[in-house]
Formats: sequence, structure tokens, C-alpha cells
Amino acid sequence: MLTSTPFTIALKDLLGARFRVHPEECARFSVARAAPKLVLSPDSTEEAARAVKIIAQERASVVIRGAGTKSFRPPALRDVDAVLDTTQLRGVLDHKPGDLTARVAAGTPLADLQFELRKHGQFFPTDAPFAASATLGGTLAANANGALRQRYGAVRDNVLGMRVALSDGLVAFSGANVVKSVAGYDAHKAFIGSYGTLGLIGEVVLKIAPLPATERMLTASFRSLASACAAATALARSNLFVMAITLHDPKAAARSAALRGAGDWTLAVRCGGSRAATSAQFEGAAALCKSSGASAMRDLEAELVPAAWADISELAGGAMYPADRYAVAKLVGLPAQTHLLADAARAAWPDAELSAHPSVGVLFAHIPAESGQPQPGELWKQLALHNWTALYLSAPAANADSWVAPLPAHAPIKLQRRLKAALDKAGTFDPGRYWGGI
Amino acid sequence: MDAAFIRRLEAIVGSRHTLTAAGDLRNYGYDASFDQALPEVVVVPGSAEEIAQIVAACNDRGYPYVVRGAGTGLSGGAIAELGGVVISTARLHHMLEVDVENRLAVVEPGVINADITAAVRRHGLCYIPDPSSQSACTIGGNVAENSGGLHCLAYGVTANHTLGVEIVTPDGELVWLGGKTVDVPGYDLLGVFVGSEGTIGIVTKIVVKLTPIQQSSRTLMAVFDSVEDASQTVSSIIGAGIIPGALEMMDRLSTNAVEEFAHAGFPTDADAILIVEVDGLAAAVDEQAGAVRDVCRRNRAREVRFAATADERERIWKGRKGAFGAMGRLSRNYYVQDGVIPRSLLPEMLREVAAISQRYDLRIANVFHAGDGNLHPLILFDESKPGETDRAVMAGEAILRACVERGGSVSGEHGIGLEKRDCMAVQFAPADLELMARVKSAFGDRGLCNPRKVFPTSRRCGESARRVGSLAPEVAAAAGPPF
Repeated sequence: MLTSTPFTIALKDLLGARFRVHPEECARFSVARAAPKLVLSPDSTEEAARAVKIIAQERASVVIRGAGTKSFRPPALRDVDAVLDTTQLRGVLDHKPGDLTARVAAGTPLADLQFELRKHGQFFPTDAPFAASATLGGTLAANANGALRQRYGAVRDNVLGMRVALSDGLVAFSGANVVKSVAGYDAHKAFIGSYGTLGLIGEVVLKIAPLPATERMLTASFRSLASACAAATALARSNLFVMAITLHDPKAAARSAALRGAGDWTLAVRCGGSRAATSAQFEGAAALCKSSGASAMRDLEAELVPAAWADISELAGGAMYPADRYAVAKLVGLPAQTHLLADAARAAWPDAELSAHPSVGVLFAHIPAESGQPQPGELWKQLALHNWTALYLSAPAANADSWVAPLPAHAPIKLQRRLKAALDKAGTFDPGRYWGGI
Repeated sequence: MDAAFIRRLEAIVGSRHTLTAAGDLRNYGYDASFDQALPEVVVVPGSAEEIAQIVAACNDRGYPYVVRGAGTGLSGGAIAELGGVVISTARLHHMLEVDVENRLAVVEPGVINADITAAVRRHGLCYIPDPSSQSACTIGGNVAENSGGLHCLAYGVTANHTLGVEIVTPDGELVWLGGKTVDVPGYDLLGVFVGSEGTIGIVTKIVVKLTPIQQSSRTLMAVFDSVEDASQTVSSIIGAGIIPGALEMMDRLSTNAVEEFAHAGFPTDADAILIVEVDGLAAAVDEQAGAVRDVCRRNRAREVRFAATADERERIWKGRKGAFGAMGRLSRNYYVQDGVIPRSLLPEMLREVAAISQRYDLRIANVFHAGDGNLHPLILFDESKPGETDRAVMAGEAILRACVERGGSVSGEHGIGLEKRDCMAVQFAPADLELMARVKSAFGDRGLCNPRKVFPTSRRCGESARRVGSLAPEVAAAAGPPF
């Protein structure tokens, strides 16, 4: 009865043309091929809170959607009552270049944000995947990270504060507008990686960084996975402080023009800083790769690096692998175990393409859906043995339910459930689809 | 507190580690803030499991409990305001594991901050957060307060260097938040827990990140004839795209107080100095230091002096870290604030602090983390002079309000605890506090886990600090090392 009650009138009154019920229009906001019955496109956090409260009172559910790049997360979504479309929450609201902070509406595309910041020689230091279309809010909600976390930390390390809207209408700010604050709980941290299940991220205060003055990229080929990982471990242990390190198998590397034909296993090392620092990083990285047994190395000069990196960062969980043909698994272990993770993933899914952020122990397996085993028992055993974790970031809508990774043995599931209950009291935001069935 | 309960605690930790004598309790009645309150019993558990049992016992009988590390906190976080049980982490002082390849260490909460770096330095690694009290303060306390330090401008605070914690929840259960690996699935409860001041659980193990030690560093001191020029220089350095490892400022009152005993080489006739440390690859550090020197000169620095030797560098930093302690030479009492402002507003904020100093007729020394915009105004007063304590408290409140009006925070690193709980309502709206209260309830709060901290009471900002100056002199003298 969602479409013919006083409740829709209330939403229409609130949102006007930014409230949609027409099936064709709603289909444009599908989540994992499921079309919602209603679409809400609020243009402020307060308006979003009021709209969601109306829906919550009707005991209907809401799925938050930014650009829709990461909406194929399993398990399957059967019925969607309402989609909360964040794309009208847009704009860099307050950028203070001298303070290295920016307050940004969460529906702002990452690419737009980076474009604005670049005018001042700055950037939000992440190379999270789907960079061309993903929104800031979606990137945070998915805790999506790229290899730049090696130097700059994960996105969680660069979020200073958030304005959020909860399903009972509460609009609250957590954190601060300045680079350092310990006043109160950092409740906003829980929203990073929450996939929109606690509430809406409306606005975000970011810690931003100066762009490096120069850049250079080293690619190194290795005959063995173990030596490629040994090189990455040595690099991360060294005081070179390179910007980013990625690792790719030959099939994955072949998708990027900068890495193509490089050999068996490829490391890409992004260096940056002052001219002197960049060369010192590059020379140091080349020496480490050589002593770890690199069979060939290449040098990519400054101006080519950003474009090359835009491709390389999409090799890990990103736009290179269409969601209807690939499942994407993210496996995490200790950095120095990345080669064991890769071996285990290779054994589980022989056809998968593997890319990794080896300095933090994160591996992405892109599994062709028609040949891949959703439940590789041996891999799950290894996982439990080593205290590794696994998540499917994406799975084809056709059989999404079969791609479900096991929970770690000692997960604080009770606290997780209670946090959900305390913040999303009526269970309005995408119930049942979060980790552990929350 | 009844004898049966004490016996139950003794059964858990042993009678040797259960303290009830008045003299013992007094040692746990204060921290480095101005707050004081006596616990009814102190227990010194030897394991996480014992802490879980203590919490269960307190829950059964409805007694409040407060965990305590080294007692160096500056906001009263370890004070047992309602009496009850103080749980000391003194026996939990073991480094359980150092994993050099994966750049992490697993430590117990009573491990002293500086001991981690001391233990891993030979591997070329260090633990980054370095509060001025690092030779005494514990990692458990650092996690509770989300401590910062001199080098968090470039490298982040405790939250950025903690991979996982084992905690005892207010329900008395042992759980892990995060772990040795990154991106542990589920809500980021670790991020919420760090900085929660011991109010939503007790940390029993910590996985800290270790960071390679930079190849090279240069420390320089820039001397200014005006506070305005020095604070403008801070913005110019950041604006030039340089993020130094540390960027500190001291005004004339502070340098004079320090120089008298530390002989750090601070000029005594300059209005302000900046201490800047740049670090990185040997091939690049000199160039960056030169860029900082040029920015300082463009902003009318009278002199820019590089530390030529390790000894000279050491003396400069020792002077900086000794600044709080040196205030004792200038004034019988001081009241330190910890507000934060956007760093580009430093010049006008320091003018405001000077105006507040005049308005309340009290001297205020400034020594602070300029790069972060984290002020530490030290309000000097004499409790024996009628009305001075009240004026100091009012001046402190005025400074914090000025920080919040400029979009800042009432605390950058010292925490809220008891002392600043009533300032929370200045910075946060009721809805913001409601969100925090819901998080607290989700962790299983039943009003016993470090109660009455962080959240405001019905009093005004500043009123919590009215006990300023009430310390007996012998307690003040024993309140730990100088900061």
C-alpha cells in the first residue's frame, strides 16, 4: 500500500518533484537490479531525516544509493520499498585550503571533489575504486580504499566529522570541523563501512592533503609471487615512504596499458614528493625490487603517472570488472602473508584475476561468475586458521545469495547488533543485508 | 562498601592486589588535572580475565568502577568521582608480541608509551603518538584519550595508530574490536572506542601500528618579534604545501620560564618562537628545511637557527616538553586549556587570548601545537589571592567559547573527563549528544563504567573546574612529572 496512502502525500509535500513513484522513473534507481517502489531525492540532511522518518513510521525499508557503483553487494535484495538517492546532496560546502579541511555534501561525486581541490594544489588522499562515478558518501559507506592508504591512511583516517540522519529523524553531528579533536565519542567512525545500514551520511568534514610536487612510477616484474610480496614487504618496512604499492597477476596487469606485458607478477610503486624525494624513493624502490629478484623494471615519468594510476586503481575491486559477470572477493591478512592469501585465492578460484594492496595485506579476487565457486571450503578453513577475513564486495544479481563469506570466529556480533538497534531503531535502513545478517 | 564485596575482589585478584588502606587510596585520588576523589577500593588485576570478573562483580552489586593507567590525564578521566572501585593497569605492563615484518606490536594497557619505541628502535621502527608525558603515560590511557603529541601533525593521533583492541565491555564480556589486520568486517567499533575515555569498556590488549623511523630530520627554531608574525608563518608553511613532522609555538612568557632552568637556547627577548621539525629522506630534508626557513624569513623572522647537533635538537625539544612544568616558576597555580581552532585563525585567536588575559587581569602563557591549531593557553593565577581562582576559571571558559565560535573544539588531546564535561554543550547540540548517548547504550552502559564523564551535567561550562586550586600542596607536588 506504499503508493496510495496519506504517507505518500506527506512525502510529496516534503519533496515535491524529488519524490518519484512512477515505475519507469524508479527503475533508474535500481539497486542490484531491484527497482524500488519509491525514490526520495532530498537536497539536505534535514530533509532526508524528515523523509526517512515518514517511511520508518510506515514500517517500510530504505536503501541508500549514491552512484550505484557498489550496489551488487550480496546477499540479494528482493524488495526495495524506497531508495534514498543522495545525488542531490551535492557540493563542496566549505573548503579551507590553509586549514587542509573541507566540508562536503556526501552525494558529491569523488571526481568533482578532487577537481575542486586540485585547483588549490590539494586532494582528498584516496584512490578508492570507481573514481569516475562514485560519490564521497558511497565510498565512505563501503569503506572503499585504494593503495594510497600506504602513505595517507585509509579513508577512515581522513574523515574528521560527519553530519548524519537517523531513521527516527535525528540529525546529529559527530567529530569536529578541525584537524584535531577529542571532544565526545567518534560515533561517525561507525558509519564508515556501514553500507548505509545505520543512517544516512549527509555531510562529511575531510582532512585533505597537498598534492605531491612531482610523481614517478616504478613497475617491477617478478617470476614468483613470493618474491614480489617480499619486495612489497621490504618496501613497506623501509623508510622510503612511497605513496602506494599494488600487486597484480598477469591477467589483471594486462588490463592496464601501463602494466601490460610486464611479466608474471607485477608490482606498481607510486612515488611522489619533492623532486629530490621522488627520485630517492624511486631509486630506493628499484634497488629493493632488484635485490628481491625483479626480472624487469620500468620507469613511468611524472606526467603519465596520474592517468596510469587511474587505470591501476580500478584493477582492485573496481570498474574493470562488470558486476554481472564477476564476483569480487576481498581477502585480508597480515601484509607479509599477502602471497599466502593469493595462493589460497588462486587455489579456490583458478580463473580469478588477482590484484592486491600488499603493504596492508588486502587482496581482491575477481572471479568469473560462470566458473567460480561461491563457497570454497578449503579457503574458508585457511581463513579461520590464520585469522584472515573475507567479504564479497559484489556478486552477479542472478545468484547473489550463494556468495556469502563466513564470519570471523570472534566477531563482536552482539555489540554490532546493539549499535544497529540503538541508531536505526525501527530497522529501516536495508535490514538483514549487512554483515552477519544485521 | 561491604566486606563481602571486598572479599570477592580479593578472591579475583588476590589480597595483595586489593588496596583499602586510607594511605593507599589517597594515591589513587588524583591525576594530573585538578580533580580529586577517593575510591573505596583499588584493585590491581593481573589479566584481562580478572578485569572481566571485576566488572561482573561491580555489575552484580551496582558499584561504579574507573580504570587507571599512570594517572597523567589532564581532564580527570581517572578520578572516581562516585567512589567505588579503581582498577589499576599497573601489572598489565607486558609487550606481548612485536611483529617487525608486519609493523605491529601487541601490548598490554599498562605499557608505557615511550617503552614501545625503545623496544623496536633497533628494528628501525617507532610508535608515532608522543604526548609530552610519554615517559610516564600508558598506552591504555592513550587509547582512552586518543592522545596526540608533538608529531601528530604529519602522522596522526592514537586512533590512526591502533589496529585493534581487546576490551572488557560494561557487560563484563571480553571482545576484540579490530585486530591485527585492517578492514575487519562490521561496524568500526574500534574507531568509536578509541577516545571514549574508559566510559564504554576497559581496554585489555592493544595492537599498535609501528612506523619506520624517518631517514633524516632537521629541527629549526625561528625567532619572531611579534606573535602575529609567528602565527601567520604557521599558515604560510602549511599553505606552501609543507607538512612538517612537528610545528610548535611558544610565546615570550613560556620561553622565559623554560630558559631559566632548561637552557634550551631560547631567546628571552623575543615575542614568540616557532620550533619546526621536518623529516624524510636524507636527499630531500635539507631542501624542505630551506623552504621552511624562507617562509619564516618572508614573515619577518628575526633569526632562523638550525639545530646543528643531536644534543642541540634534544635541548630544544626538552625545553618545549618542559614548558608546563616550568610554569611553577612563574606562578603558584596554572590552569591549562586545550582548545582547537582552524589553524588559519591563529593570529586572531591569539589576539583574543591576549584580550581575555587583559579582561580578567591574569597572565596567560601560550605554548602549543601550532600546526594543528591546538592551543595550550596556561592561565597563571594564585589561589591564595581572593577572586583569582574564579577569574582563572572564567578566563578558561572564555577561551573555550572563543574556540568553538571559530568552528573549533574544546579539547584537542587532553580529553573531556570531569573537567570539561559541562563544556560539551557549548560545542555540541542536544541531538549530537543524543547520538553519543545511544552509542554508549549500545556498548551496554549501566551507569557504572567510569560514570559521569564526557557527558554534560546540568551545570554551566566552567563550573566543573571550580575546584581548581583546591589541591593540597603536597598532592600537587606528587601529581607526576612535569608536562
